[in-house]
Amino acid sequence: MGAAVLVGTRKGLFVLTSDETRREWAVEGPHLTGWEVFHAMRDPRTGSLHAATNNWVYGATAHRSSDLGETWERSEGIGLPEESELTWEKSWHVEPGHPDEPETLFLGGTPGALFRSGDGGSTWEPVQSVIEHPTREKWNPGAGGLCCHSIQVDPSDPQRLYIAISAAGAFRSEDGGETWEPKNSGVAADFFPDNPFPEVGQCVHKLLLHPERPERLWQQNHCGVYRSDDRGDSWERLEGNGLPSGFGFPIALDPADPDAAYVVPEEGAENRVTPDGRLGIYRTRDGGASWELLTDGLPQQAWASVMREGMSFDRLDPAGVYLGTQSGSVFVSPDGGGSWVEAARFLPTILSVEACEWSSS
Amino acid sequence: MVLVLIPSLLAREAGGQGRFELEAATAREALQQLPVRDLLFDERGELRPLVNVYVDRTQVDDLETPLQAGTEIRLVAAVAGG
Repeated sequence: MGAAVLVGTRKGLFVLTSDETRREWAVEGPHLTGWEVFHAMRDPRTGSLHAATNNWVYGATAHRSSDLGETWERSEGIGLPEESELTWEKSWHVEPGHPDEPETLFLGGTPGALFRSGDGGSTWEPVQSVIEHPTREKWNPGAGGLCCHSIQVDPSDPQRLYIAISAAGAFRSEDGGETWEPKNSGVAADFFPDNPFPEVGQCVHKLLLHPERPERLWQQNHCGVYRSDDRGDSWERLEGNGLPSGFGFPIALDPADPDAAYVVPEEGAENRVTPDGRLGIYRTRDGGASWELLTDGLPQQAWASVMREGMSFDRLDPAGVYLGTQSGSVFVSPDGGGSWVEAARFLPTILSVEACEWSSS
Repeated sequence: MVLVLIPSLLAREAGGQGRFELEAATAREALQQLPVRDLLFDERGELRPLVNVYVDRTQVDDLETPLQAGTEIRLVAAVAGG
């Protein structure tokens, strides 16, 4: 069993593979040429690869492979109901459902919509309650469109789901997606000076749940980094204490340590590059109370940017952290962030990285 | 019988097939028989705006125009992207 990272780019999907040392990497691909791969993952329940794919001529869809990328099948007929007066524009994120429901997957995207598959990703049905959410008229598209980019399933309860939409905020369902409650209390929307803490309209950039402590959520927002210890009922802003900026896109969590998180701050909304002219990754091991800069092996002259799906974590010991830049480099730390190697460079613009286990047997 | 030719990306999505010989009275009828019809039309049945349809080397906007036997339909992606 080796390590792999699926790298979604503007021009197809690449697979980087290594042994467990994760110091030397081989690049395979591209798969899905002609498609922008906004996100790809390997479903740990089935081993299938799933990709959220887009083409500027042929629209938004999803692909899956049951043979590690040798062949791909496209999902057909993904679409929004006519009465919604919406059309499916972009596929952003594909997420496995609960382990007890191995055929269930979720697909999120633009315009602020969520799909569920009950057959392993062959067909997808829109989640009507998101399309018809009573707050929808207050949602506003961010620069990437009105995108549903974060989908999290509570491992302790398959009925409890979270989604985050930019810029609508975070939502929680306790009934398997029948209804959704906004969960944005304490999360700032500084771009609304007349009402900086609205019920909805927050610009979440990425939301994650900690798998070992599922009541704990983290989010990197347009307006700060936040943690919730009560399933999103309240949020604490965590910037300062070592973070040069609250602005950024990705966030990664260490599945073995609920107090550890990694972010890649950018200077701010008006200048979306890493601060201080270097690529800096910031780690907390105390729940966000303090942050330390990680630099060993990372370029110290860089104006990089990392997209919302551009970080990942593996489940090996010691844990590996993965980062993909818009300029086409993949950096890997095989020791939880202590040191980094450049696993690939000059790939097309990187939209997503997702670590997974890999075996060709 | 009409002949439909599709670009290479669509051919890959069609299992490697880039030429289709079909019975169809109109261009819409021909395109809707293709295994990549969901990539040509959105969920409202509207032709995607950057898909150009040529019938016997002439670009057509009206997909309901009757076809003659032996017609060649060629799909071309508009110049776009980066």
